[in-house]
Amino acid sequence: MKTVVTDVLVIGGGLAGLRMAIAARSRGHEAIVLSLVPPKRSHSAAAQGGMQAALANVTRGMGDNEDVHFEDTVRGSDWGADQIVARMFVNTAPKAARELAAWGTPWSRVRGGEREVIINEERVTLAERVDAHGLIAQRDFGGTKKWRTCYVSDGTGHAMLFTVSAHAISLGIDVHERCEALALIHDGERCYGAVVRNLITGELTAYLSRATALATGGAGRLYRVTTNAVICEGMGHALALETGVAALGNMEAIQFHPTGIFPAGILVTEGCRGDGGLLRDVDGHRFMPDYEPEKKELASRDVVSRRMEEHIRAGHGVSSRFGPHLWLDITLLGRRHIEHNLREVKEICESFLGIDPAEQWIPVRPAQHYTMGGVRTRPTGESPWLRGLFAAGEAACWDLHGFNRLGGNSVAETVVAGMIVGEYIADFCDKAENRVPLPVTLGEEFVKREAARLEALLGHSGKENAFHLCAEMQEIMTHHVGIFRQADALQAGIGRLQRLLQRSRDIGLTSKTWGANADLVAAYRLRRMLKLAITIAHGACQRTESRGAHFREDFPRRNDQDWLKRTLAFWPDDDAVLPRLDYEALDVKQMELPPGWRGYGAKNYVEHPDTPARQAEVEAIRTQMSDSDRFAVQHALMPYADKLPSACEGKNERLEEPLEE
Amino acid sequence: MNNTTSGSGLPPRHISFDILRYNPQDPATAPRMQTYRIEDADSMTLFIALNEIREHQDPTLQFDFVCRAGICGSCAMMVNGRPQLACRTLTRNLPDVTTLAPLPFFELIGDLSVNTGKWMRGMSERLQTWVHTLEPAPDLRKIEARMNPDLAEQIYELDRCVECGCCVAACGTAQMRQDFVGAVGFGQIARFRLDPRDVRNDEDYYALIGDDTGVFGCMSLLACHDVCPKSLPLQTQIAFLRRKMAVA
Amino acid sequence: MLREVFIVQSGLAEIGKRSRWPARLDVVQSLSGLALALFMWGHMFFVASILLGADVMWAITKLFEGYFFLGQSYPRLVSGVVAVVIALFVVHALLALRKFPINYRQYTTVRAHAQAMKHGDTTLWLWQAHTGFMLFFLASAHLYQMLVWPQNIGPYASSDRIWSDGLWPFYLVMLLTVELHGGIGLYRLALKWGWPPLSRHSLHWLKWLLTAFFLILGLATLGAYMKIGFEHRQHYGERYTPTWGTEGEER
Repeated sequence: MKTVVTDVLVIGGGLAGLRMAIAARSRGHEAIVLSLVPPKRSHSAAAQGGMQAALANVTRGMGDNEDVHFEDTVRGSDWGADQIVARMFVNTAPKAARELAAWGTPWSRVRGGEREVIINEERVTLAERVDAHGLIAQRDFGGTKKWRTCYVSDGTGHAMLFTVSAHAISLGIDVHERCEALALIHDGERCYGAVVRNLITGELTAYLSRATALATGGAGRLYRVTTNAVICEGMGHALALETGVAALGNMEAIQFHPTGIFPAGILVTEGCRGDGGLLRDVDGHRFMPDYEPEKKELASRDVVSRRMEEHIRAGHGVSSRFGPHLWLDITLLGRRHIEHNLREVKEICESFLGIDPAEQWIPVRPAQHYTMGGVRTRPTGESPWLRGLFAAGEAACWDLHGFNRLGGNSVAETVVAGMIVGEYIADFCDKAENRVPLPVTLGEEFVKREAARLEALLGHSGKENAFHLCAEMQEIMTHHVGIFRQADALQAGIGRLQRLLQRSRDIGLTSKTWGANADLVAAYRLRRMLKLAITIAHGACQRTESRGAHFREDFPRRNDQDWLKRTLAFWPDDDAVLPRLDYEALDVKQMELPPGWRGYGAKNYVEHPDTPARQAEVEAIRTQMSDSDRFAVQHALMPYADKLPSACEGKNERLEEPLEE
Repeated sequence: MNNTTSGSGLPPRHISFDILRYNPQDPATAPRMQTYRIEDADSMTLFIALNEIREHQDPTLQFDFVCRAGICGSCAMMVNGRPQLACRTLTRNLPDVTTLAPLPFFELIGDLSVNTGKWMRGMSERLQTWVHTLEPAPDLRKIEARMNPDLAEQIYELDRCVECGCCVAACGTAQMRQDFVGAVGFGQIARFRLDPRDVRNDEDYYALIGDDTGVFGCMSLLACHDVCPKSLPLQTQIAFLRRKMAVA
Repeated sequence: MLREVFIVQSGLAEIGKRSRWPARLDVVQSLSGLALALFMWGHMFFVASILLGADVMWAITKLFEGYFFLGQSYPRLVSGVVAVVIALFVVHALLALRKFPINYRQYTTVRAHAQAMKHGDTTLWLWQAHTGFMLFFLASAHLYQMLVWPQNIGPYASSDRIWSDGLWPFYLVMLLTVELHGGIGLYRLALKWGWPPLSRHSLHWLKWLLTAFFLILGLATLGAYMKIGFEHRQHYGERYTPTWGTEGEER
C-alpha cells in the first residue's frame, strides 16, 4: 500500500487552496495540493466581476474603508456573520489585492480625468483624481455603499487564479492533479490526512499530514440549475461531515444569483448591473425600482433574486418552452464598454445564446450560485472538533457571509482566508506538540475501509442508476429547497431525499473497472451529495424564520429572538438518514454592529432581547470617543487584532489615509 | 405556456457522434470508433450531448468538463478534425454525423480525456511563467505600485489564455516536435515580457524560447491563432517575439 | 548584480548562455528565401522580355553577358550569377530541410493533421514543403545547366532548348512549382516577421494576385519560347541576330 507523507495536505486547488499552500510553503513547510482537475481549471476561474477590497481609489469609492466594508458585509449577511471574522476579512482584503498586484494580476487601473458611466439609466460624468491614476480601479456591486469591487475586466477570478497558480509553481508546490480525497484519516480527535483515489488509475493512497486543509469550494451541483462548475459537488463538506465528528455550519444558507442565463444557468456577472445594466420584464418594464426604490438592481443578491421570482410569479415573466424568465439589459452600456469591460459576458452570450448583448437583451433567471454554509471552523480556520483539520473559502463556514454573501466577497474571501488560515496552518505545524509521528497504521486501516467500500459498490448488482438518482435529487432541491421555502414542501422534500438515500444503497454499476470510471465516481459521490442535500433541507425546515437567502414563506420575518444562531450539523451514524442538528448562538453583546434593518429588503424583524442594550452601549462608546480615531473606536467596540496572524496585521494605506510611519 | 420553437411539427433531428474510444489503462483494448445517436434539442451543447450519452447509453465514456461555460479550458477536443471547446459547441451547428476525438499531442487519459494539465504545468515550469521580481516581498499595507491603465488592459488581453491546448493541438510544428513550446507558451512569454513587474529582459527570454523548440521552430501556420477560443492575438504576438528574439 | 543573483536563484543560469545560432539560422533562412524569391521575380521579368520581342530578350541577355559595358559577351558572367544563386539555394534548402518531416511516420502524421484540420495555412505549408522538395531536383537541374552552358541563353538558343530539346514539360512543371513555392514562401515570411503589417486576409489576397500574375506571365512566356522554338526547329543551333544586325550572330 502506498503512503505519501507531507506537512500540509491541501484538498482543492482553487484560490483558497493554493493560497494556503503558498503560506505554508513560505513558512518552510512542505505542502501538497490535491486537485480533481488541473488547478487553473478550478471554479475560482469563473468569478467574473471582481473582488471587494476597500482601497478607495476611485471617486465613487472615496471615503471607503474597513468600517464601511465591514458594515456592508454584516448587513449583507443579515447579521448571520461572525463579526470578528468580518473584521479580520475587511482588514486583510486590501492586503490581498495588493499582494496579487505585486504577483502579477493585471488589475484594471484607474484612469485619471473625466469619464462617462451609466448610473441609474443616466449618463454621468465622473472625474477620477489625477493622483489616483494607475491605481487599482473599483466598480459598483450589489449591497455596497461604495464602489469597492476591484476587477480585471470581467475575468477577475481567472486572472487571480492564474497569478496565484503561477506563484505556487514558482515555489515548486506539488499539485497532485486528478486525485480525489475519499475520506479523512482521523482518530475522532485529530485529523491526519486523507485517503486519496487517483481518478486515472483508481489507485488508493494514504496521504498522511500534520495539517489537512479543505478548500473544495461549494456544492452547487446539488441543484439542477446552478452557475457552479460540474466539480462543485460539495465533496469537501461531505469529507468533514462523514467523519461524524466535525460539523457543518449554516448549510441551509444557499445563495441564488439573479442573473444566470436562461435556461443553462451559466453566470453573467453582477458587474453587468454594477456597471449600469437593468432588469426588465415581459413588457420591457424596469421593475426593480418598484420593489427596491433605493438600491434597485443593486440590492443584495438574495433580495434581487427573490424580487425577480416574485415578479415572475405575478405573471410578468417572459414565456418560453423552458419556462418563464426575465431580461437583463446591458445594451445601454454601449458596445465599447461591453467589448472592453464585459468581454466574457459577450463571449457567453454569443456562444450559448447566439445573441449580441450590445444589441439584444439577455434572458436570465436566478440560479443557485453559492454555498454560504460549510465546514464550521474557528476564525483560525481550524475545526473545533477535529484538531489539524482546517477549511477555507466556499467550503468553510468561519463565518464571513452569514445568510447572504455580497457579490465580490467570495473571491476576496478565497485569498484572504488563504492568507490567514495558511498562516495558522503554518503556526500549527510549527508547534512541537503537533510534530507527532504520523499514524501509518491508521492510514492503512482507512485505505482498507475505503477499498472495501469501493469493492462492495463494484460487486453489487443493484437496479438503481446513480445518474438518474442524482438528477432526481437536483430536481427535489430545486423545487423544495429553492428560493422560496415552506414547511410542507421542505418536509416532503426531505422524505423524498431520504428515500433516494436508501435507494442509493442499491446502485448497480454498468462499468466494473477499478480505474477511470465515471459510473463509479457518480455512485460514491451521490451518497455524499444526498447527505448534504438532506442536511440543507433539514436545516431549512427547522429554521422557522427568514434570514438572508433563507426565505420561509410561512415565516417571512427575520427572528433574532429565536434564530440569531448558527446551525451546526453532525452526521455521527453512517447509516442514519438525518443529521443531528445543534445550534450555536451569536452573542449580540459582543457585536460591533448590533442587528438592525439592512437598508434594503423587508423591514420587519423580531428583535433580539439583547439588542437595545447593546445598541445603547455602542452609541454611548461612539459618543464618548467622538474625538478618537476610528481605529480606537473600533477597538473599544470589538477588539479583534489579536485574532490576525502577524503577516496580516497593520492598517491599510489609502490616498486619503496615508500611513503614518 | 408559449411554445416558441417546438410547435412546428417537424420530426426531431438526430445526430450521430462517431467517438474515438481508447483506454490506455486497459492494454487489452485497441482504439476504435463508436457511434452514438441522440436527439438534438434547442440550445444543446456538446456538454449536454456527451453527458446525455454517458447517463443514458454508455457510462464508460470518458471526457472532461468543469465550468461548462467556456471559461476554464477543460473540454477542448477535436470536433470534426478541429480542436475546439466542446462546452461552447452548439449541436445545431454540427452536421448530422460528427466525429469526436481527443486532442492529439497530449497524453491520453482515455477516450476524449487528455492530460493537458500535466503538460501545461511542465510548460509553465520550463518557461517560468510567473512574474520575476528583484524586490523583497512588498509591504502590503502600502498603496500598490501604479500601472498605466492601457498597459494593464494589454496584459489582460494576453492573460486571458485558459491553457485549453487547442493551439497546440492545431499546430503543425507540434505534430513533428514533441518538445515544441507551442503558441500557449509564446502567448505567456509575450504576456510577461509586457509586464513591467517582471524584470527579465530579452536575453533572459531568449534563453527560454530562442531555439527551434521555441520561437524559431514556429513555421507560422497560424492554426493556433485561428482556433484559439479566446481569440488571442497569437499571430502578431509570435511575430513580435520572433523579431525581438532575433535581435536579442 | 542583483539580477545575476536572481537569475541563478531561479535556475535560469544553466540555460542562461544559449547559443545565438538558432536566431541567426532563422534569419538566414528567411533572408535567403527572400533573396531567391526576389531573384525569381526578376528572372521572370527578364525571360518574359521575349514577349516584347526577340530583340529585347537578346539585348537583355547581352546586358547580362556584359556586352554593353565590355564591348564583348562573357557568358561566364552569367555563370557567376548562377553560382551565387546556387549558393543561396543550397543554404536555403539545407536550412529549410530542418523543418521537414524527418521520417515517413512524421510525414503521414502531418498530412493527416492537415487533412483533418482543413485549415488553409496548414494546407499551404504542405504545398510549400512538397514544392520545396520538388525544387531540390528541378531547380538543381536547371541551375546546373545554366552554370555549365551559360552561352545557351538567347531568343533562339533558349527556344530550341525548350522545343527541340523537348524540355518544355520540365519548364512547365518548374514554373508551377517555383511560383507556388515562392508565393507561399513570401506570404509566410510576412506572417513570420509581422511585416508588412497587413491583415492576414490582405496578405492572402496579395499573395494569390502575385502568384496568378507571375503564373500567367510565365505561361505566356513559355508559350512564346515554344512558338519560336517550333518555328525555328529547322534551324536548330542557329543563334539570333537582332533586326538591326550589328553583330552577325548570337554567340
